[in-house]
Amino acid sequence: MHKTISLALGSICVVFLFFTMISAIRFVQSGWQPPQAEPRQSDRYRLVLITQDLGTPFWNGVGEGAARQARELGANLEVWGSYGEDREDFLKQLEIAIDSKVDGVIVQGMDTEAFDDLTKVKAAFYGIPVITVASDVPMSGSMRRTYVGSDPYEAGRLIAKRLVRDMGNKGTVVLMADERDEYDQLRRLEGVRSVLAAYPAIALEEVRTPGEQERVIAATQESMNCFPDVNAFISVDAGLTGAMVQEIGRRAQVDPYHIYSFDDNPDILPLLREGKLDAIVEQSPEEMGEMSVRLMTEWLSGETVPLNADGYLTDIRMLTAADLQ
Amino acid sequence: MIGIQRKIWTLTALVMFIMVAIWMMLTYYNQKTQDQYNDILQRYLRMNEVTVSSQQAVTSLNNYLLTPTEGNLSGLHRNQDKLREARQAVGALRNGQNDFALTSYMNLIDSLIETTDRSVMFRSERETEDSEQAFSEATRISRYISEMTLTLLDMELNTYQRFYRSIIEQSEELKKLGIWILLAITFGLLLFTYWFSLSITRPVEQLTKAAQELAKGRFDRQIKVSSTDEIAFLATTFEHMRINLNELILEMREKARLESELQQSRLLLKESQLRSLQSQINPHFLFNILDTLSKKAFLEGAEETSDLLVSVAGLLRYNLKRLDRSVTLHDEVRVIRQYMEIQTARFTDRLRLNLDIDDSCLSVSIPGLTLQPIVENAVIHGIEPNEDGGTIDIRIADGGDEVMIEVADNGPGMSRQKIRRILEEGDGEGEAEGHSTGIGFGNVVRRLRLFYGIEDVIEIDSGEGRGVRVLLKIPKTRRSEP
Repeated sequence: MHKTISLALGSICVVFLFFTMISAIRFVQSGWQPPQAEPRQSDRYRLVLITQDLGTPFWNGVGEGAARQARELGANLEVWGSYGEDREDFLKQLEIAIDSKVDGVIVQGMDTEAFDDLTKVKAAFYGIPVITVASDVPMSGSMRRTYVGSDPYEAGRLIAKRLVRDMGNKGTVVLMADERDEYDQLRRLEGVRSVLAAYPAIALEEVRTPGEQERVIAATQESMNCFPDVNAFISVDAGLTGAMVQEIGRRAQVDPYHIYSFDDNPDILPLLREGKLDAIVEQSPEEMGEMSVRLMTEWLSGETVPLNADGYLTDIRMLTAADLQ
Repeated sequence: MIGIQRKIWTLTALVMFIMVAIWMMLTYYNQKTQDQYNDILQRYLRMNEVTVSSQQAVTSLNNYLLTPTEGNLSGLHRNQDKLREARQAVGALRNGQNDFALTSYMNLIDSLIETTDRSVMFRSERETEDSEQAFSEATRISRYISEMTLTLLDMELNTYQRFYRSIIEQSEELKKLGIWILLAITFGLLLFTYWFSLSITRPVEQLTKAAQELAKGRFDRQIKVSSTDEIAFLATTFEHMRINLNELILEMREKARLESELQQSRLLLKESQLRSLQSQINPHFLFNILDTLSKKAFLEGAEETSDLLVSVAGLLRYNLKRLDRSVTLHDEVRVIRQYMEIQTARFTDRLRLNLDIDDSCLSVSIPGLTLQPIVENAVIHGIEPNEDGGTIDIRIADGGDEVMIEVADNGPGMSRQKIRRILEEGDGEGEAEGHSTGIGFGNVVRRLRLFYGIEDVIEIDSGEGRGVRVLLKIPKTRRSEP
């Protein structure tokens, strides 16, 4: 009797003690220390990469390349920017970067007065070097240290040459360009023109349109109305290509037209894969990112002073639908 | 020895200890959590402080630009100081995740302070446009600071998310742990209390059983209590009592037995006295007559007859006096000599007596009239039947602790049955018929045994035609005084 009661109570007690132990262990393990305060890593360069087009494959590539290079060089890099070419936000980010006194700003060039003002006056005031990447701006207006990216002029020439090869030396070509005269867009146009000038039988029609989708569609309609015998389209600004191709496809077969563009927009690659684009100029975003960070740290540490003001050009090549398959 | 009081103290101390331990654990955990909450709040408050003071700085700059008085300027400076302090405080919040953002944040604050300074400077130089521009820049920077505060808070949430969750999780675990501990302690205490109460009640039960046994009169069972406390002490005492009682009872029984034996011996004595009285008619008259006869015989010249009469008188007197008390062996021997004188006169040549007595043994005490009946027995059975008479040997010798008294005759002997009857049943009443004192052999045997308290005091060795040899073994010291 006594034994039974003792045994029963004892075993219950042991079971509860066991669960208590498990609970206690879990209680102790669930405690998690907050991240420890760290001293400032003052010896590392603080770099910022700012773009208007965050989240596109092109700029993701640039960001990845830059981040990799920054890790290798031991620099602190953050990628800031605006989405969908929001210029106001982009400028604000740039101003914040300058006001928070980063060591170097790597920025997508924008050929506007506000941009020039920030880079030339404010960044210079704080002594912050600025490197443009992917899109250049004139050296005189921006006081940029250098440019890293494709040569837009050469890219224009590359497309024009390809066009001549595909289309022959006669026909009508529509150049679809953004209303805003970006510096690299102008250079691309120059490049195209410089090649086509040699072929008087090729008629070159320039169409300017604002960036909004409806306006692009309208401009495309208009150009197709005005030039019914058009053979080829060159979208100088990759952002316009999607809407343009869509509109062409709605009006007629896309295949007969020779359509060319650049790769700095997320719509481009799918279109190329579908065969709606004949060829694009492919740039090297990762190389741009890597090189810009490397040049910036070299300039900051005084290894390469001054940087080549003409810019450091990265690789460009034609990419056709066939190449993707 | 663990007393009951100590057991109770132990139980109480244990409960107290567990309670204190749990209380301390909870307090420690609460304090820790409180500290963590305080830290977290502190972080948020510091960041908010930056936003607030940056806005205040811009407001006071605006006030100064509108009405440039000393008061407004010092207000601006105060706000700038506050901003610097906030910047300092925010510096401590750096961790691996927010290193870049925090540095930017602090630099933004620097920029704000510089810009306000610039604005004030332009204002004092009356360059209103530049001053306005710097002011708008300061406003923008202040806005950026607000936005960055939000970014930092966001970052803070992301960084500390796991930590916050761990706090919630831990408090959940604590709840569960509390329930488990409560259950475990409850049953642990139940078990302990059960053992504890058992350790008190079990010995009491055992003691109760033992008391019941005693009450039933069983004093021979040992009292065993498996305990080490006061109950055990009680049990030991109880056990002592039982043993003592047991001894007392045994003693009482022994006494009762002795008493009955004594009673028996008294009865025997009375009986023999009665018999001797029956055989006497006025002994004084007889003594006087014997004395007169003795003197008359002496005067008439019959000296031998006179001596004989004296012996007879002495024997009679001894008979009357010494029956109920112990005498020395010496007295006995003297009586035997007188008796033998008489018998010698009676049997003349037919009776031959050999005495061999060690005088050193004669101080031993012995019941009165022990030897005489034995010797008389020898005369009656050993001498009288024989025409040629016989020899009686009486020998007294030292046998170590005992005195050996041997009485032997060379008569026809005694049958084995008769010897057995005398020794085992004390039956010799029939024999007393012919005895001068009326005391038979059996009477002597029983008295000797009673007197010395031992059975082995007499031996009779006989056979047809071999005579009878009686051996008395008298202890030199009596074992127990009656």
